[in-house]
Amino acid sequence: MKNSDALVLGIETSCDETAVGIVSGRKLLANVISSSVEEHARFGGVVPEIASRAHLEAMQGVIAKALSDARLSIKDIDAFAVTAGPGLIGALLVGTSSAAGLALALEKPLYGVNHLSAHIAVDSLDSDHKLDPAIALLVSGGHSSILQVNDLTSDVKTLGSTIDDAAGEAFDKIARILELGFPGGPAIDKDAKAGDPDAIDFPRGLTLARDLIDHKYDFSFSGLKTAVSRYLIKTPDHIRADVSASFQEAVVDVLLKKAIGAAQETGIETLIIAGGVAANSRLRALAQERASKAGIMLRIPPLNLCTDNGAMVAAMGSLAVAKGLAPSELGFEANSSSGITKPIF
Amino acid sequence: MRTYLLIDTSTSRTSVAIVGDNKTIFLSHHDGALSHGEALPKLVAEGLKVQSSIDEVIVGMGPGTFTGLRVGISFAQSFAFARGIKLTGVCSLDAIARGIPDEDFFVAIDARRKEIFYARYTEGVRVGEPKVCQPVQLENLNVPIFGEASNQFPDPVAFVSIAESGATYTQPIYVRRPDAYPAPVGVKFRPMTQLDLVPAFAIEKSSYGHEAWTMAQFKEEFAGKERMYVVAEKAGELIAYAGVVNLAGTADVLTVTVADGYRRKGIGRELLRRLIDWSRTQKCEAIMLEVRVGNEEAIPLYESFGFIEISRRKDYYGPGKPAIVMRKELV
Ligand SMILES: [Zn+2]
Repeated sequence: MKNSDALVLGIETSCDETAVGIVSGRKLLANVISSSVEEHARFGGVVPEIASRAHLEAMQGVIAKALSDARLSIKDIDAFAVTAGPGLIGALLVGTSSAAGLALALEKPLYGVNHLSAHIAVDSLDSDHKLDPAIALLVSGGHSSILQVNDLTSDVKTLGSTIDDAAGEAFDKIARILELGFPGGPAIDKDAKAGDPDAIDFPRGLTLARDLIDHKYDFSFSGLKTAVSRYLIKTPDHIRADVSASFQEAVVDVLLKKAIGAAQETGIETLIIAGGVAANSRLRALAQERASKAGIMLRIPPLNLCTDNGAMVAAMGSLAVAKGLAPSELGFEANSSSGITKPIF
Repeated sequence: MRTYLLIDTSTSRTSVAIVGDNKTIFLSHHDGALSHGEALPKLVAEGLKVQSSIDEVIVGMGPGTFTGLRVGISFAQSFAFARGIKLTGVCSLDAIARGIPDEDFFVAIDARRKEIFYARYTEGVRVGEPKVCQPVQLENLNVPIFGEASNQFPDPVAFVSIAESGATYTQPIYVRRPDAYPAPVGVKFRPMTQLDLVPAFAIEKSSYGHEAWTMAQFKEEFAGKERMYVVAEKAGELIAYAGVVNLAGTADVLTVTVADGYRRKGIGRELLRRLIDWSRTQKCEAIMLEVRVGNEEAIPLYESFGFIEISRRKDYYGPGKPAIVMRKELV
């Protein structure tokens, strides 16, 4: 195998998506996702035991489908990659154990990769642009952070992150209050389209001068959540679409203010927006507008590669292979709360 | 002769064996309730160094602690798929029972939350499917108990003969439903009041037809002493109710009834949890209930709470309609 076009199969099971992707170097060959989100919708959030059972049930079928989409046999795969954290531990273990079974059976290298790094690595697919250095705004149901990516496989610094709820979590909670269902991101995005984003002036967390001293690139969404609840109680005849749009605007505005600020301050000219919330249409549109105004090169992965998927894990594994990095040790420990400082386990 | 890779992760022990020509070529284990994921690949890699050509994988399907169990099964499935070889699943408890010569005994392993997974074996054969209960419930029966508490773990070498006997499984033996079910979204639970009697009675009638209580019985049951009724409502509409009575220190479930269209959504589970909690506050030593034989929705729910069958009542629900009496210790 040539390292630059190695066939890498990636497995992702950190939350409620059982996903397998296959890449050849930076070329995407297959991306198959089985989600248990409908099961969880009944409970308004992801139930770990239900997710883990669903992963085991779906896993073999998803692997087989990805191989058939890529017109490959499992024996063709040069290296395996799997999300090793962060995520739900019981869910992660289904993925890491499956991947270990494949790798050991075929005597091929296995890379345990960081889920957050993988969200950014997906940007490498189907193009040959230079990945780093870049500022990454990583926003999803579990994470909201601003990262300085000097080298995606070895050197990523966290500039800031949320001090309470993740952005995606805030969307879920507000959607629940507005009775828009789960998951909240797409529901609010849709509802907001008919609303006025400037109708209600919801607070922008950690943007005051005194906040900026200690929390320059940090986020806080819990105050916003309280503000929305209070507004709803005080305003019985509110227009729901306006609430959705104004809430969404408050989140998106802060995310972009801080992310673009980080790019300007560090002098890094590329901004990557990754993670499930990067699928939000208002975030994509406003990012485009503000980045071009600031002269920053903006990169956002295609919609279907923003939410959790296997292609991103394969992409991350592929970058590790291309760099000639050593595979993870046998029986590496999955870590539910690993930070981005450990891109490869 | 076939060469087998044998894997069990159902207990706190991760065990791996390779058997070929009826000889154990490799056998090793690692103890640690939280380290199956790290231990298993290392053990298998060691085994493959001794014998790398494998014809079939046999894996313990449980019962066992869920996360550990899935480590073994997902690994085994992937390994067998990648090698293009057969995968067989067996009951892990059977692999403890194989080594025990007694005529009649229980095999039990830790199920967490102060409960055990168990099965009974008579003359070397398992009686029924594995179940879950509290240790004290088996101890009361004066039948010998073998298993994790006496440091006996599934012996993967025994998997070969178990698989040959045909007692195989294609799905994990979970026994318990997911224990982390949160309350159903948008459903409110509150104590039942007089005002709920009419809508509750409507659910009673549509659920049980001519076996339903009459309105008079319904009122009488509700008004009785030492009892607690709770209801569930969604968008202001009553959708379920349940009641329990304290009969001299033993709680008896009077009813758990969920309206058609709202079943299998975790509402019955939440109601039952409240009945059990109340019974605990009354210092009841146990809680009992009757359920129709063959009620495939309710029995697994009750079992998941640790209720076990203690007897049957003939004609309880009318001629030819027996009830299972189930009991859960609260001490
Ligand atoms: Zn993610």
